[in-house]
Amino acid sequence: MPETMRVIYSAFRMAMLHWMADPQWVIPNIIAPFVFTTVALTLFKDSTGPFGLYAVLGGGMMGMWGNTIYSSGYAIEFEKWQGTLEEVIAAPSNLMHVITGRAISNALFGLTNMLAVLLIAGLIFRVPLGIADPLLFAVGLILTLLSVSALGLIFASAFVLSRSAQALTNGLETPLYIISGSMFPIALLPFWIHPAAYVLGPTWGIDAVRLATSADYASQSFWAGMNPSFAIFLDLMIMMLITLAYVFAATALFKIVEKRARTTGTMVEA
Amino acid sequence: MSGSGPSRDSDSGKAIVAEHLCKVFNVNKGFLRRTKSQVVAVKDVSFEVDYGELFGVVGPNGAGKTTIIKMLTTMLLPTSGRAIVLGHDCQKDVTKVRERIGIVLGGERGLYTRVSAVDNLNYFADLYGVQKNIRDKRVKELLDFMGLSDRAHNRVETFSKGMKQRLHLARGLINDPDIIFLDEPTLGLDPEISIETRHMIKELVEKGKTILLTTHYMFEADELCKRVAVIRNGEIVALDTPSGLKKYVMDTSVVEVEGFGITDKEVAKFKEIPDVVSVSADLGENKQILKLQTSKGSEIIAEVQQILKNSRIYDIKIKEPTLEDAYLRLVEG
Repeated sequence: MPETMRVIYSAFRMAMLHWMADPQWVIPNIIAPFVFTTVALTLFKDSTGPFGLYAVLGGGMMGMWGNTIYSSGYAIEFEKWQGTLEEVIAAPSNLMHVITGRAISNALFGLTNMLAVLLIAGLIFRVPLGIADPLLFAVGLILTLLSVSALGLIFASAFVLSRSAQALTNGLETPLYIISGSMFPIALLPFWIHPAAYVLGPTWGIDAVRLATSADYASQSFWAGMNPSFAIFLDLMIMMLITLAYVFAATALFKIVEKRARTTGTMVEA
Repeated sequence: MSGSGPSRDSDSGKAIVAEHLCKVFNVNKGFLRRTKSQVVAVKDVSFEVDYGELFGVVGPNGAGKTTIIKMLTTMLLPTSGRAIVLGHDCQKDVTKVRERIGIVLGGERGLYTRVSAVDNLNYFADLYGVQKNIRDKRVKELLDFMGLSDRAHNRVETFSKGMKQRLHLARGLINDPDIIFLDEPTLGLDPEISIETRHMIKELVEKGKTILLTTHYMFEADELCKRVAVIRNGEIVALDTPSGLKKYVMDTSVVEVEGFGITDKEVAKFKEIPDVVSVSADLGENKQILKLQTSKGSEIIAEVQQILKNSRIYDIKIKEPTLEDAYLRLVEG
């Protein structure tokens, strides 16, 4: 395995071991999705059409977003709390690769969040869970998770560079749910918000996942009137380009983080 | 763990070279009225460490010991000066330096406590790019060396302080480093584990490792180090062998008073006596020990008895000065 991949895998494994060792994961991954699903299905109980599945997906997306961004954003902070940040920084491997492994692990746990929502909706609330294109749904979901992870990398470095970034992110959590289209389609939002939505990679991923879920969504998609498979392809391509931009931005931010850490020596202080 | 000596790729033939190292930190205070100030942590520090040498850095809290270690391990950039480790510039050749050094910072933190000892070591082996086949063998060897094989798969949170310290040492050796930086490795450990740790440090030197050790304990520096640098307020005030440092106080002797009821006021009176070079007092609840370093020798005893007339004196001894006495004289100026 190439060196970089080994570091990413090792950091991924270490994060998974920590998730498993800490029973607190039950709260964001089982209890929170259960609450989301219950609220969403209660709100849409009198609606006709595929609203049940739509609401379930929205709840799942929100849980996934929150879980991944929160965990990835605090990935460096986690090392500080553990008292291991100095040891990790002192190793020859790139800090960003270590945090990438952690972010992917968080994304995978975010996926369990979504799956928990689907299971709770299907088994407890008896919501029909027919997915129009399961393969594209799965691809869209995984790529969206990667995009959210890349955004998590930016948050991780921003949190270290500025304490106000943490407060800002906490305040932005709900607006991000709305802007990315997790709660309801972007088309329903005022036009002036759209540009903010377009620079968020997951916005496109959520559009792709919804298109793959139900043909009824096509009219509310960014690509209304287009062949759904091609529309999904376009969504995913745009999302990957934005994700790539996130990775470049995160690389630059991590360089600043490391330089500042070596100059001020304050980064490792808990 | 390899027992072979390190490859010597330094032009100077030295494992570590510190050239006029300085570190200044900018400190910002206040929210509305923001004030900026500077703290000089290390001032013009220069020294060299030979291959296979155990070099000590001693000094009081805040003297700059850890800052020096951090500059030599690439974790901090010097404000000015140069740090060369194994022939590589710590400022520019960061990865090359990091690949070949090990760092053990004291204290209980620095380990993933929710996972096992093996998981901790495997993880750091991967971060250091140790190949998997070598990694598995080395992790086993290190756990054996540190006496942790029986607990290899237990969570670190169930370990005692001593076991955690041994695991710290194992982690610092995971890449089979040529140089090991040990920052107060016996701090807070009970005497038995401290002896064990010092024994392990000696074994590492016998295996050909170069070690830079910081410590608060002078007997530890005396027992382990070939040479010792004494740091005060970020500067080296003396650099010599332990016996060479003791020569700083050869003209003095130490009067050790064991008693009860000695007050801080009385201790202050001793500091005013012109021939008393340094005073240290351990004013415990049940037993108090007062040490006076003086050029007067036994002549001072009458004066001691006079000052302590209201206290109980159990014993007075005249002793040869130790490294600790030399240290006290140096750091107290």
